[in-house]
Order: sequence, then C-alpha cells, then structure tokens
Amino acid sequence: MKTIKLWRTFKEGVDNYRRNGWLTFATVSVLTLSLFIIGLTALIGFAGSLAVRNLEEKISISATFKPDVSESRILTIRDELSKYKEISSITYVSKEEALKQFLSDGNQVNADAVTAIGENPLLSSLIIRAVNPADYDLIATKLQSSSYQNEIDTVNYARNKKKIEGLNDYASRARAIGLTLGIAFTLIAILITFNTIRLTIYSHRQEFEVMRLVGASNLYIRMPLFFEGVFYGLTAAVSAVVFLTAVAFAFSRNSGPILTEILGGTTFFQVYLSFLWIFAPLTIIVGILLGVVSSHIAIRRYLKI
Amino acid sequence: MDRVKSTKRGSEPTPEPILEEELSAFVESDQSDPTSTETDAPIVPILEFDQVSKSFPGGYSAIDTVNLTILPGEFVTLVGASGAGKSTLLKLVYAEEVPTSGVVRFNGRDLTEIKRKHLPYYRRNIGTVFQDFKLLPQKTAFENIAYALEVYGKPTEDILAEVPQILELVDLDGKADNRPKQLSGGEQQRVAIARALILQPKIIIADEPTGNLDPVSAEGIIKLLLEINQLGTTVILATHNQGIVDNIGRRVVLLDHGHIVSDEMVGRYVTSERKPRPIV
Ligand SMILES: Nc1ncnc2c1ncn2[C@@H]1O[C@H](COP(=O)(O)OP(=O)(O)OP(=O)(O)O)[C@@H](O)[C@H]1O
Ligand SMILES: [Mg+2]
Repeated sequence: MKTIKLWRTFKEGVDNYRRNGWLTFATVSVLTLSLFIIGLTALIGFAGSLAVRNLEEKISISATFKPDVSESRILTIRDELSKYKEISSITYVSKEEALKQFLSDGNQVNADAVTAIGENPLLSSLIIRAVNPADYDLIATKLQSSSYQNEIDTVNYARNKKKIEGLNDYASRARAIGLTLGIAFTLIAILITFNTIRLTIYSHRQEFEVMRLVGASNLYIRMPLFFEGVFYGLTAAVSAVVFLTAVAFAFSRNSGPILTEILGGTTFFQVYLSFLWIFAPLTIIVGILLGVVSSHIAIRRYLKI
Repeated sequence: MDRVKSTKRGSEPTPEPILEEELSAFVESDQSDPTSTETDAPIVPILEFDQVSKSFPGGYSAIDTVNLTILPGEFVTLVGASGAGKSTLLKLVYAEEVPTSGVVRFNGRDLTEIKRKHLPYYRRNIGTVFQDFKLLPQKTAFENIAYALEVYGKPTEDILAEVPQILELVDLDGKADNRPKQLSGGEQQRVAIARALILQPKIIIADEPTGNLDPVSAEGIIKLLLEINQLGTTVILATHNQGIVDNIGRRVVLLDHGHIVSDEMVGRYVTSERKPRPIV
C-alpha cells in the first residue's frame, strides 16, 4: 500500500473515531471497564503476594538448645542443617544475644526479672527460615526426629504452627481466586469488547458495500478500522490506568498503618507505583490488541468479495 | 486484444502481479481504439454476454441463456417487470455476481479470469449508480466524490482539481460541503453520478437511478446520463419508468423471466405481454 493511501486510511480512522459519537464512547467505556477490572485484579494479586512474601519472611522456627550444649556443637548442627534445600537461612543466636534482645525491649519488668535471677536465664537457639512456608512442618518433624533431638530443648514450631498454616492457606487461596478472577474477567472483557466493536462495524455495514463498489480494496476498507481499533485500545488503556491510579491513591490514603506494615513498610500507593511500571505498558498493548483483533475479526464477514 | 491476452497469460503462473497497472494498461490500449477500429480492426464490444445464465441457490433461474453485445458509446435501456432479472444482469457486469454458466466479457476479457482480490481494480472501470444513491452518510458531497479517487491513490492536488470540475458538471458546485442528509434526492443522485464519473469509467451502470425521485429530478438525471453518453461513455440504464424510456429514443432491451424477449435499436417502453407499439 502506498504511503498516501496509508495516510488516508489513518485519517479515515481518526474521522470514524470522532464521528461515531456515542458508539465510540460505548466501545471505549466497555474496554476501559474491562481493562480496569483486569488491572484491579492484578493489583490485588500483586499487593497480596507482596504481603504474603513479607509475612513469610517474618515466620521462622527456632530450636532452642539445652544449656549444656556447647556453642561449637550448635554451629556443627547449623552447618549440617544448611545442607537441606528446603531451608533458606539459619541464624545462630547465642544466649547473650538473646538476652540483649530481650532487654532491648525496654520493658522494666523484664529487666527486673533478669536482675532477680542473677544470671542469664535464656538459651542459645537456631532460627530457621524455610524457602517455602509449606515446608515448616517437614523441618519441624526432621528436627524432632534427628540424631541431636536430645540436645534440643524446644522447637517452638507449635506456637507458630497456626500462623504458618493460616498464611499458607491464605496465600494459596488468594492466588487461586486472583487467577480465576483474572482469567474470567479477561475472557469477559474480550467477549464484550469484541461484541461492542462488532456492533460498531455492523452499524457501518452498508458503507463497506459502497466502498467496495467505488473500487476500494479490502485492505483500504480495513485499515481505517485497524486504526480505529488502535485508538479505542489506546484511549481505553489510558483511561483505565488513570482510574486505577485514582482508586489506588484513594485506597492508600484511607487505609490504616496496618496495611503498610503488612506490605513491609511501604504504602499501598508506593506498591501501586511499582506495579504501574509493568501494568501501564501491558494494558496499552492488551487494549490495542483487543481493539485491533476484535475489529479485524468483525469486519471479515462484510468483505466476502 | 493481443496485449490483453499477453498480460493475462503473464498473470497466470505468478499470483502476485498488481492488476491495477495491468487493468489500466488494458484500458489505455482500448482508449486508442476509436481511430484504429474504424479503419482496420473490428470494434471490440465493451460488453458481451455469451450464453449467460445465473441461477440462485434453490434453482431459481434469474438470467437464462442471455446473449447480448454492447458496443462502446451505446446507451442501452434495460426494461422488464419486477423480478425479470435486470439488476442481476447488471450485477454480473460489475462482478457482484458470477454467472452460473456462460461468459461475460468486458472489453473482450472474461470477467471470471479476474481474481477476487483484483476486483476493486476492475470496478474502477465501471461507474455504478443506484436507486438508493449509496453515498457514505458521514462524508460531504465533495468527500464522497473524492473517496473514489483517494481509494485509487490519486495525488491530493489532482483530487482538489478534479472534484470541483465534476461537481460543476453535475451542477452542484454550491453544495460541495453538504452531507447526503443535507441534499435533496436528485442532488444526492447527482453526487452519485459525479462519483461514478470521476474515474472516467468505460461504462456507467445505472440501476433504477430515478426510482426515488420526483419526475422533474428524474428527468434531470436522465438528461445528465445522456450528456455523459454524448461524451463517449457507454451507459446501461435499468428502469421501470415508461415516460423516460419513450423519451430517450435509444436502444431498449426487454427482459422477461431472465430471457431477452426484444432488443430494439430505437426502442420504446414495452412489456412482454404487449408487442412494441408502432411509432406513430
Ligand atoms: N441473491 C439472490 N438470491 C436468490 N434470488 C435472487 C437473488 N437476487 C435476485 N434473486 C431473484 O432473481 C430474480 C431477478 O431479480 P432482479 O433483482 O434481477 O430483478 P429486477 O428485474 O431487478 O427487479 P426489480 O425491477 O424489481 O428491481 C428475482 O426473482 C429475485 O428474487
Ligand atoms: Mg432491480
């Protein structure tokens, strides 16, 4: 196709977009809503997984050793444990460090209690973090049935167990719901967008016949619709991003500090901004693709000859 | 003719050649004809129906073994009752329909040999005018006419020069910026004719162009078609309007149930029931 024709079809596309009035509005609205919902689902999923990862990092198992086990023995055990691929990190906390942490709380009652006892009542321990929270169960069992089980005073897994299970549960459920919703909304979005664009094209079907009679090639008839699809997608994507930004901003302002803590110290809006980075270009691509593919399929039946 | 054959044969093995050039070359070779045909070569019919039949799914035969030859510069009026097959015959010319059997030739060339994707280029040789005008509703009179040139890839400055000329020819110079809705039926039809004319087609096909018009506008349209014919363009007109046919005084072909039942070089309006009335 000659450049002049390409330019003309581009102008036709712009004209169609402007002249179609409410139909353009309807198409763009539907596409915007679809992209917005997809974006919202993705954002919730993104923030959710961030929260889960953050909480996961806070979970650990600690194994406290009996007072008579020497530091070097504990370090040997640590080295042995670090061979397991399920374990992501092991930290040794000596009883002196444990005491320091205990006192650093600034709690006067604690301090008084330690002074009353006259010696360090705390035990040395290994803090174990798993790669996958589902493995804490396994790690705990391993510790309790190991060759050094008699040297261990307590494994405080039980105390953490509820928390860990809850988190595991939440994480996998959130992932499943997010994925299902995401896929469902994407399908709905594609269907609705496709139908709206088909309606737009249907309303112009007589014009395609006229164009053909006047000697327009199928490509020449198609190109304006291609550009129209691009404009639909672009407008909708930009609107969706703007709306989602507004929603994220409002939500972030009205949510308490708990949310920020759950998200590892960043505000929801900051999380959104890091999400926007990927989301904005992706939405624009998806929007344009949706517009273009829909109009491409919808026009086919009117260009039989 | 030879040139037509050779370009055609050249297009057979490779599916790619752009028929735009092929067809325009073919048309140009014909344009030099008027002088040469009168002296040595026989006149190539602009349109030829050779044993053409067209039946639609269900077996209904809309066109039945039609033989018809139309020479360059003729003005042919097609008459016949509703459903006689006039529109179908015309559709075969601009390749909207394909014959079930037989051959339709344009300038000696079998239309079935034109590839589907090349039809738009072929259609530029044929101007079409219809009862319902078939204008693009969102474009002005100027833009509707310009569209036929834009599609063709004509440079913009040529379009800006040619469209006003053709608007003047159809007496619409004051209405260039009106949309179809802001034009009367007769004016809309003149825009349609201007659009059909702008590519300087070999044939103008007018399928009941006056069907939606009042008698005065109708007369104007027919006068315009006759003028266009005077300038050398072949015109095929299908109509129901007796008064119009009787006034034209040119060739009249009567169709009945897909057959040609009469073909008079200076015809009057006839129906299949009545024999043509003697001219008093
Ligand atoms: N696409 C089609 N499918 C089936 N039958 C068709 C089709 N097009 C036309 N016909 C039939 O072919 C016959 C001829 O139709 P055509 O439109 O050519 O008539 P016409 O002479 O133009 O009539 P009118 O004067 O009313 O316009 C009619 O009986 C019509 O029903
Ligand atoms: Mg008809």
